[in-house]
Amino acid sequence: MGENIKKMGQIVDYLAPYPVFQLGPVTITSTVVNTWIVMGVLFVVLFLATRRLEQLPRGKQHVVELVVEFVWGIAEGLMGRIGRQFLYLTGTLFVFILSLNLAWFIPGLRPPTMDLSTTAAFAVTTIFLVQLIHIKKKGIASYISHFTFPNPLLAPLNLVEEFVRPVSLSLRLYGSIFGEKMVVTILFMLLPFFAPVPAMLLGALLSTIQAFVFTLLTTVYLYIHMHGH
Amino acid sequence: MIGEILAVGMTIAVVAIASAISQGWVGSRAMDAMARQPEAASTIQTSLLLSLAFIEALTLFTFVISVLLWTRI
Repeated sequence: MGENIKKMGQIVDYLAPYPVFQLGPVTITSTVVNTWIVMGVLFVVLFLATRRLEQLPRGKQHVVELVVEFVWGIAEGLMGRIGRQFLYLTGTLFVFILSLNLAWFIPGLRPPTMDLSTTAAFAVTTIFLVQLIHIKKKGIASYISHFTFPNPLLAPLNLVEEFVRPVSLSLRLYGSIFGEKMVVTILFMLLPFFAPVPAMLLGALLSTIQAFVFTLLTTVYLYIHMHGH
Repeated sequence: MIGEILAVGMTIAVVAIASAISQGWVGSRAMDAMARQPEAASTIQTSLLLSLAFIEALTLFTFVISVLLWTRI
């Protein structure tokens, strides 16, 4: 019985990223190559979809406007008119994370968000950017007083909360996508062709929800920083 | 050997029970609210998804720990 457990333990090795080639001192892993492929496909698709923008949308411009209105609805629901300036950040996050999560529709690819490096990069960059936005828009004095908001004694707690946000953002995205991939792989080992299909449907739904939640949380953190607690 | 397998399994099982109970509670309250006031359904739906993702995240942290334990057996 022990060897069966050990054989299934090799699934983690199977799903782990592997190095592909070296560029000087930097090792390029399979995750990075997958990200490049998804970026290339996304560039081509979006370039073709926004070729001739017209005032009255026709055809594929509808889809693009649907996405923009969706992200704009999230920002406007929380922040009103001033949410418009953050549309670039949140819109990019939503579209990019959604396409990375659904990258397994291209045969042979695995979603790069299955690697903790990708999600940690997203989370750390986003939270760092939120701090910079706060300092730029409202000044350093407002930034420091933001952490001593109810009482200066609570400043360490506010700092810890600020540092926990990237951890929870990255682990949430990583855990859901990695868990879904592992369930699909195990089901595929047990009963190929039929058992993974419901798990993959659930995985597609869950990937979309996780991208949406990442964007929503970024908007909420921006709102907290711009408007005080 | 049995103890190690039991540890990996119980980690997920206990956390999943708590997560399922709390998500069911949140979902039922949200449905009550949406039924009482259908014009606020979109706002409630957004808040509902946000709450569910927060609770789900706790389960996923434990899942990551469990996978780390699993590869150490």
